[in-house]
Amino acid sequence: MAVIAVHQFAQCITCHAWSPDQSMVAFCPNNNEVHIYRLVEDKWEKVHVLEKHDQVISGIDWSARSNRIVTASHDRNSYVWNLEGSEWVPTLVILRLNRAALCVQWSPKENKFAVGSGAKTVCICYYEQENNWWVSKLIRKRHDSSVTSVSWHPNNILLATTSTDGKCRVFSTFIKGVDAKDSKKGTSSDLKFGELIVQLDLSSSWTFGVKWSPSGNTLAYVGHNSMIYFVDDVGPSPLAQNVVFRDLPLRDVLFVSEKTVIGVGFDCNPMVFAADERGVWGFIRYLGERKTVSSGSTYGSQFSEAFGKFYGQSKHGVSNDAVETSKTRGAVHDNCINSIIPLGQHGILTRRFSTSGLDGRIVLWDLENEQDLLEL
Amino acid sequence: MAGAEGFVESDNAEAIITRIEHKTRKIESLLKQFKPVEALKTALEGTYAMTSDERCKSAHWIVVHRAIMAIKDVDGMLSSLDPEYYDILMKYLYRGLATGDRPTCDQCLRIHEKLTERAGHGCILRFLTDTKLKPISSEDLLNGRNFQMG
Repeated sequence: MAVIAVHQFAQCITCHAWSPDQSMVAFCPNNNEVHIYRLVEDKWEKVHVLEKHDQVISGIDWSARSNRIVTASHDRNSYVWNLEGSEWVPTLVILRLNRAALCVQWSPKENKFAVGSGAKTVCICYYEQENNWWVSKLIRKRHDSSVTSVSWHPNNILLATTSTDGKCRVFSTFIKGVDAKDSKKGTSSDLKFGELIVQLDLSSSWTFGVKWSPSGNTLAYVGHNSMIYFVDDVGPSPLAQNVVFRDLPLRDVLFVSEKTVIGVGFDCNPMVFAADERGVWGFIRYLGERKTVSSGSTYGSQFSEAFGKFYGQSKHGVSNDAVETSKTRGAVHDNCINSIIPLGQHGILTRRFSTSGLDGRIVLWDLENEQDLLEL
Repeated sequence: MAGAEGFVESDNAEAIITRIEHKTRKIESLLKQFKPVEALKTALEGTYAMTSDERCKSAHWIVVHRAIMAIKDVDGMLSSLDPEYYDILMKYLYRGLATGDRPTCDQCLRIHEKLTERAGHGCILRFLTDTKLKPISSEDLLNGRNFQMG
């Protein structure tokens, strides 16, 4: 089994992040607080509660080297938390947003972070030493709707975004004084802040969960139409692939290697996608156990009843499905998984990762025993 | 996944109508030979070249509807249908359901059930979220069919 551990922390979790040594986990239990739990002798203990935001926190990221937490909330603010002694001290970052902040991520060098918002803008924040505060630069143009997720390219300058306008875009976030100009890469036009490098219009529905592959050569993102998009050679002539799959849409993805992606979403079960020798991406299998199949249909209890009504006969009707509880379903999460985070060193190969969902669970997964996937 | 051939300009509508008439004759002959599955495949082929021209949409629909109504063995039909046509078929099934006509709805519902088993919820979702390729004309929508379209 790929599942190492299942922890029920709250009724519902919006986002989570791990400390650099993975001894602590920070998450938002669908309110305006961040709870930090530490594993003490096999038991999880709540060690900190970060209370500063006024509304639900939609994104948390914990930087691995500098040990800073950044939070973004629907209250249009972002705080950077520094551990001083045994207390987490918040620093307000004035994002200059007039809509909710929806997602946040530290850049690979941890000197910047990006916040996607419902104001159709992306905020790139960096630390100004002279004034001892975080400054936010906005990418105002281009997005026609809310920015649902952001992802940094390994070079610390390119940022990919997805939006509810169905498009995935790559921007340059070069900031003078913060980023060093690399004379090898790109022309001077590429290095202008807010410059749109690539716009991918592959989906007709909302897009979520964009991620770069470890080398930065490939992008993956999902659409709300049960499709996942892979784009190789991101640049002037990208190679896009649309992969269609059977079930409910995904919400987030993770590259576990250059050629393998795990997607999580409304099916409550991680899905594995991989590219074969020719570079063609396809669905491999589910990671967890599938829901139990019954009476010829593969649907859970709610769907059976709904489809029963739809087809106007009690063919599926009030079968055994109706009394099936979530415990017998076999899936580890029983509500939408909305976040997948790698555990351990951020390297070329990720063996372990964690998922959190609307069911309030954080589940830890390990691909150690999934021989067929490791050989991909 | 089959690529969309994109929109065709209205002044090519005549060419499309001609192609559809040609298709209709081919389908009629296939149906006479008791080959409803072939007929449906022929009907669905090329409908990706969606146009915004209402006449073409209606003409496409008439052709596909004829083929759908002639299907007796739904399981057999779906086994031999190329998976890349699942999404298009689903769109036409919803178009059929939107007509409100009893025999059409019965047939479309019967096929819908089997198609969902095969293609999964993803197929339905792709229909619901597709803003570009919709075989339903604006009149049907405006006539207030009791059917929510995105």
